Amino acid sequence: MSGAFAVRGFGAILYKEMIHVSRDPITLILALALPVVQMLIFGYAINTRVQHISSAYLDEDRGAIAVRALDAFRASQQFDLRYAARSRAELERLIVAGRVRAAFDIPPNATADLRAGKTVRIQVLIDGSDSTVAQQAYAAATAVGAQLAREARGGSAPPLVEVRPRMLFNPSLRSANFLVPGLIGVIMQLITIFLMALSIVGERERGTLDQVLVTPIGAGGLILGKIVPYVAIGFVDFLLVLLAMRWVFGVTVAGNLGLLLLLGLGFMVAALGMGLWISSIAQTQVQAMLLTFAVTMPSILLSGFFFERELMPLVMQWVGYAIPLTFFLEILRGIILRGAGLDVLWPSVAGMLGLGAVLIVAATLRFARRSS
Amino acid sequence: MSAGAITIDGLSKRYGEKTVVRALDLRVARGEIFGFLGPNGSGKSTTIKMLCGLVRPTDGHASVLGFDVARETERVRRVIGYMSQSFSLYGDLTVEENLEFYGRAYGLAPERRRERKREVVDLVGIEPFVRFRSATLSGGWKQRLALACALLHEPAVVFLDEPTAGIDPVARRDLWNLLFALAERGVTLFVTTHYMDEAERCSRLGYIYDGELVAAGTEEELRRLPGVDPPDAARYSVAAEEIMLAYAAARRLPYVRDVTIFGRQLHVLTEAGVAPERLRADLAPVTEIGEIVRIAPSLEDIFLVLTRGREAR
Repeated sequence: MSGAFAVRGFGAILYKEMIHVSRDPITLILALALPVVQMLIFGYAINTRVQHISSAYLDEDRGAIAVRALDAFRASQQFDLRYAARSRAELERLIVAGRVRAAFDIPPNATADLRAGKTVRIQVLIDGSDSTVAQQAYAAATAVGAQLAREARGGSAPPLVEVRPRMLFNPSLRSANFLVPGLIGVIMQLITIFLMALSIVGERERGTLDQVLVTPIGAGGLILGKIVPYVAIGFVDFLLVLLAMRWVFGVTVAGNLGLLLLLGLGFMVAALGMGLWISSIAQTQVQAMLLTFAVTMPSILLSGFFFERELMPLVMQWVGYAIPLTFFLEILRGIILRGAGLDVLWPSVAGMLGLGAVLIVAATLRFARRSS
Repeated sequence: MSAGAITIDGLSKRYGEKTVVRALDLRVARGEIFGFLGPNGSGKSTTIKMLCGLVRPTDGHASVLGFDVARETERVRRVIGYMSQSFSLYGDLTVEENLEFYGRAYGLAPERRRERKREVVDLVGIEPFVRFRSATLSGGWKQRLALACALLHEPAVVFLDEPTAGIDPVARRDLWNLLFALAERGVTLFVTTHYMDEAERCSRLGYIYDGELVAAGTEEELRRLPGVDPPDAARYSVAAEEIMLAYAAARRLPYVRDVTIFGRQLHVLTEAGVAPERLRADLAPVTEIGEIVRIAPSLEDIFLVLTRGREAR
C-alpha cells in the first residue's frame, strides 16, 4: 500500500495532541513529577541500605595490625562490626544465616609476619545475594585495603598488607553503584510506554480512532504526531531525573553529557515503539495497562537492572535483547559510571536504535493494515 | 440516470468462521438518500466500515465514485465523509478546535479551511457554541458538530451510521432537515437507522439480515415484494383496550396469518374475504375493541415480513 509511512496529517495530529496535553494539566504534572518522586523513593530505599553494613570479624592475630585493620574498616562508616567470631566456621555461619553481610578474617601471626616482611592477607567475605549491598561492601573493602597497603608498604615493592574481598553466592558482581543510573532507564521506560499506549488505545476506546482513520491522514503521520509530544514530555522527565541523580544522590556523569541526552532521546523513541506495539494489540485501556505491566515487569529483571544478565540462563539473556531497556542500561551505566564513549558503546546504541526502529515500523504496519 | 455513487459487487466479510457480510450486491445512485436497515448485528456497520476503507473486505469489490475501496482507499477517503454510531470527536477540544483539526486532517489550505469552517458552522447552526468544549454539548449538538466535521472537505458521499441514535425528537428532525438540504445539493447519503419514520424519508432502502441483503428498492418496490402484501390476504389495524389480550386471542384465530403489536393497535393479516365485523366479533369477548381499518403494509410490516421470511429458513 502506497501510504503506510506517509507522514500526511502529521501537523494536524500534532496540533490536537498539544491541545489534549494543555487541557489535562493534572496528567502532565503527574507525568513530570512521578519519575522524580519514584527516583527519590527508590533511590533512598537503596541508599539507606548501603550504610553500616552488618559485619563480623575473626581476629586470630590479636596484635597491632589486627587492631589497626579493624579500626580502618570501622572508620570507613560502611561496616558495623557487630560480631567477634571465634572460628572460621562461625564466621561463615553468620553469613549463611543472614546475620551479617560481610566478614573479615585476620589470619594468625599477622603482626609478626608483617614485622618479618611477609605479606599479610586479610580476607573479606561478602554476601553477594543483595547485589547493591555487596557492591558497596566490595568497594569499601577494596578502598580500606588500599589504605592499609599504603600505610604498611614502608618502601618495599610488593604491598605487605593485602585485602582480598571474596563474593559468596554471587561471584561475578560488577563494581560501582549501578542501580541509580539503571533506575533512570526503568522509570523512563514505564512512563513513555504508558503515555503512548494509553493515548492511542484511549482513542480506540472512545471511537475517535476510526474517525481519524477515515481521513487521508497516513499511519505514519498519525504515529509521528503522537510520538513527538510524548518524546518531549519524556525528555523533560529525563532531564529531571538526571538532575535528581546528580544533586540528590551525588552520582555524577563521568562521560559525555551531550551523548547521554542524545541517546536518551533515542531510547524514548524505542520505548514509545513498545507503547505503540501494545496499543496495536490492546482494545481497551485496561488491557493496555495490563500489557504494559506484563512487559515492563519482566523487562526490569531481564534488562539486568537488578540482577546480572551474565548469571541468567542463555535463553533469558537472548530474550533480554528484545527489550530496548537492556541496551539503554548498558549505555546509562557506561556513560554515567565508566565514562564510556560511542567507541565502546556502539553495539548497545545500534541494538537500541535498531530495536526501536523495528518496533515502530512493525506497529505502523499493523495500523496501516488495519486501516486500509 | 445519474452515474453510480456506490457500487457493491459480492462484498463479503468473514472473521474466522463467522461471516458478517455475505456476498452483498448493491447500487446507490448519486444524490440519493439511501436508507440501510436491519436488526442489530446484521452487518450494517461492517458494511459501512468496508465502504469507508476501515475494514478490508474478505471477498468481492466495492467502489465509491469509481474508486475501489480496498485498492484506492486513499482517494476514497478524500471524497467521503463518515459519521460513526457514537460521538467520536475529541471532547476536550472545543467545537472550533475539532473543526480545525479535521480541516488540517483533510489537508485544507489555511484560507480554504477558514472559509469551509465558516460554511459548515453556518450550515449546522453551531455558531453560538464554537468556543465550547465539545464534551459539554448536548447529544443533538454533538451530532451536528460531527456532521460539520464530516462535511468540511465537501465530500460527495457521506456515510452516517445511526446518526440519530439517542438524540431527542426535535434534534432528530433538525438533523434530517440538514440531510435533505445536503441531498438537494447532490450529496449522496448512505444512512443506517432503526427509526421507521426516518426510513420513510429515504429515497431508497436496503434491508440486511444476518449479513445478507434481503431486499433493496423504493418503499413502493418493497411493498410489491412477494409475501409482503399477498393478494389473498388483507391487513387490518385493530384498536384494542387490553392490547396483550387481543393479541393472544387474534393469534388463535384460524383465518389470521400474522399479528403484530404497534403501540395501542394490532396489525392483523387475515385471509382475504374475512369481514372486519367477524374479527371484531371474535375479539370482543376478551377486551373492548375500537376502530378496525384496512391498511397498506407500513415499512415496519414490510421489514417484519422480510425478517420472518429469513428466520423461517
